[in-house]
Amino acid sequence: MAKNGTNSEAYTTPLRRLLLAVVILSLLGLFFVWRIDSPRVERFRAAVIDRVLPSFDWAMAPVTATVNLARDFRSYQRIYEQNQELRRELRQMSSWKEAALQLEQENAKLRDLNNVRLDPRLTYITGVVLADSGSPFRQSLLINVGSRDGIVDGWATMDGTGLVGRVSGVGANTSRVIMLTDATSRIPATIQPSGQRALIVGDNSPAPPIDFLENPDQVRPGDRIVTSGDGDVFPPGLLIGQVAQDPGGRLRTRPAADFERLEFLRVLRDHGARRVSNPSALVLPETPPTAGPTAEPDADAATAEREN
Amino acid sequence: MDSGLLKTWGMRLMFVFLALIILFFHLLPLNPAPSRWAGPDVLVAVIFAWSVRRPDYVPMLLVASVMLMADMMLQRPPGLWAVLVVCAAEWLKSRERRQRESTFVLEWLTFASTLVVITMLYRAVTMVLMPSPGVLALSLVQVLMTIAIYPVVVAVSYVLLSVRRAAPGDVDRFGKPI
Repeated sequence: MAKNGTNSEAYTTPLRRLLLAVVILSLLGLFFVWRIDSPRVERFRAAVIDRVLPSFDWAMAPVTATVNLARDFRSYQRIYEQNQELRRELRQMSSWKEAALQLEQENAKLRDLNNVRLDPRLTYITGVVLADSGSPFRQSLLINVGSRDGIVDGWATMDGTGLVGRVSGVGANTSRVIMLTDATSRIPATIQPSGQRALIVGDNSPAPPIDFLENPDQVRPGDRIVTSGDGDVFPPGLLIGQVAQDPGGRLRTRPAADFERLEFLRVLRDHGARRVSNPSALVLPETPPTAGPTAEPDADAATAEREN
Repeated sequence: MDSGLLKTWGMRLMFVFLALIILFFHLLPLNPAPSRWAGPDVLVAVIFAWSVRRPDYVPMLLVASVMLMADMMLQRPPGLWAVLVVCAAEWLKSRERRQRESTFVLEWLTFASTLVVITMLYRAVTMVLMPSPGVLALSLVQVLMTIAIYPVVVAVSYVLLSVRRAAPGDVDRFGKPI
């Protein structure tokens, strides 16, 4: 019996080792292909998710709704305090509303004088949030609109009030939004009223720090942060949030969008946005400066030439 | 079809089903805001716990495809975590025969050290090859949570799914001792 066992093991073990080696090599191969040619593999990932996730959706929506209901139910316990809080806020808001109405009238008059036409290209598509990234290391969302609805990589997404992030990865029916809190997110911004340019650098925290500020003395907590439109990343003037200062004295962004509850997102159609099709297109020019008319507009060739 | 084979394939299906449920709960958009702590990696705990007990329920190809799927769905670099988990699971399976008489505490320690080693390898590779490897504190929290959840996973597998070590007299369907 025991002999029989070792005998069959003698046949199966080398085969299993071979299989294990093949699996390990192919997984590692996939990882290195991803590292070298990330957009292609990411497109594949988007296609996989596009196929798999909508089939989860029928179960996901009710479970999410139930959990949120239970959470809301807990908040009934402090309903009195909330009510008082809301009344206080309402009083403040009504004075703001008065100011806003006056400003709106003044604005309309000035626009009329200047003959300004608002940009008609900024329309939006609204999508429902299907899923989040599923990992605490990545801050992204999946929404239920995709290339079928005309979504293009790189468009800005907002909730009702503020910027949420940027579309990155579009499938046929779904697309992924990298939020501005993600560690890979960099958003060029202008801080009003001083007009300082800065970069909002996501770092996986709820309040992304403000970096590359020209003159921090001119910026105070409470200032508004809007997108600057630099680098054709986003259309200018979208509200990002307010400046806040952390205990360490570092300037951070308090986002205007409510990241705790994101159910619907607006994807802003932006036909002026720069499209990123190949991996180095963000850093290098589309066509290498020294290339002749027959040369391939290949960015890798450009780097090679530059190094020579 | 004999009952042993049926049971094995049933448990394999059960493993895939469990993996899908775990992924489902990972993906629920409950709180999209960044949080300071990370939940446990239950899928890895299940794979390791089953590898130690019944290697035939989690064959290597199945583990590889499930982990690759998880990598795809959870926005991890595809293949890297999968390859580490497959290697670790195979190593645990190869020790399974020796571990059969050992205590649970020893098994828990083995699990913890295996997890720490593969997490360190993962961190090392991502730190070298990726622009933003993620926050170290979150990785630490995740490892600790996974180690903490391991006894629960083992208990649930034992009681509800009756995934337990093969007893000394058990034989597989060819009459070979497992």
